[in-house]
Amino acid sequence: MSEFHDGFPSYEHMAIHSEEAGKKIRRKLWNVFWIMLAITLIELWIGFKAEDWHINGTLLIKVLFIGFTVLKAAYIVLSFMHLGDEEKVFRYLVLVPFIVFVLYLVALVDLSEGSYSKDYRYVIDKNIIDQQNEVKARHAAGGHAE
Amino acid sequence: MAGHAAVEAHWKGGVSPFGVSYGKMMMWFFLISDAFTFSGLLAAYGFMRHKFSDLWPNPGEVFTHFPFYEGHIPLAYVGLMTFILIMSSVTMVLAVEAGHRNDKRGVSIWMFLTIIGGLAFVGSQAWEWYHFIVGTEKGAVRNILVDGQWKDVVVHGANLTYNEYGLPVFGDFFFFITGFHGTHVFSGVVLNAIIFINVLNDTYTRRGHYEMVEKVGLYWHFVDLVWVFVFTFFYLL
Repeated sequence: MSEFHDGFPSYEHMAIHSEEAGKKIRRKLWNVFWIMLAITLIELWIGFKAEDWHINGTLLIKVLFIGFTVLKAAYIVLSFMHLGDEEKVFRYLVLVPFIVFVLYLVALVDLSEGSYSKDYRYVIDKNIIDQQNEVKARHAAGGHAE
Repeated sequence: MAGHAAVEAHWKGGVSPFGVSYGKMMMWFFLISDAFTFSGLLAAYGFMRHKFSDLWPNPGEVFTHFPFYEGHIPLAYVGLMTFILIMSSVTMVLAVEAGHRNDKRGVSIWMFLTIIGGLAFVGSQAWEWYHFIVGTEKGAVRNILVDGQWKDVVVHGANLTYNEYGLPVFGDFFFFITGFHGTHVFSGVVLNAIIFINVLNDTYTRRGHYEMVEKVGLYWHFVDLVWVFVFTFFYLL
């Protein structure tokens, strides 16, 4: 036990496991690898075929790809990063704030604000485009842009 | 409450209620904050992409190169890059597992393979950037500022002010987000190399545990995790 722990249990040493336990863990990790590889190959196959199936840019393909991605992310975080083996309270401490924040970003910034800003693109951006044209006209007349 | 006694035993002091060491917990907190940064970047990308969804270039037509092959094959190259990174993630987790058995030989072999995988990925990304910057023979006409004059000229490839594939903002986000991710991969390789040298010098054998390997492992898996999202949002969708 090192001097850093002030008598706390040494969590670093608790993680040490036996040869048999290691064998089991390794088999589990390789299984996760094959699953992830299969998911990636399916994604690539769908990506290749999307043109032929006329599903490019549809809601179906978006939901499919994002679903696969979240599945892969879950495997990485829970299995490779061992978060699935940590204490329940620690798992929630890591995941809950992040998921809440991401849901906020996706729902409000991307979908809500993104749709608004697309629908009113020519209204919102009109001022910017006007300004750019003004600068370009001034350049064409030989003046300098401020 | 059934769990009350257990909760009290966990939270009255003397043990970590989270059952993890200080260093590992702080690595997780750092990764959450880093994940917030990447989420912010990807959300900004999603916003712009949604806003200009009718004008956005189809990534399948932009990234079509493959080494030693003249024709166009979409997705194959990023598929390979994804495979390299997932593979190096597996070698990393096997190094962590070997560390939990205090197996110095196992840790050094798997760490070494992880570093090789990381370098292969950074190299692949450099190649990808090169082709994106140089662009195609044909190019496209863009209205850009040349010697103080706005002119319609044929441009090849992409940079931060214009790109031949479509909106400039497409190139901006590509360079910024894959660049930010590439920087993470590069620092991950450096950290892995430092820990690898420590492993070879028996630093962790003397310490009695290989938790440092687990900590850099967490960072390395995080880099892989971010790539999974970058891969989906930049290349597949």
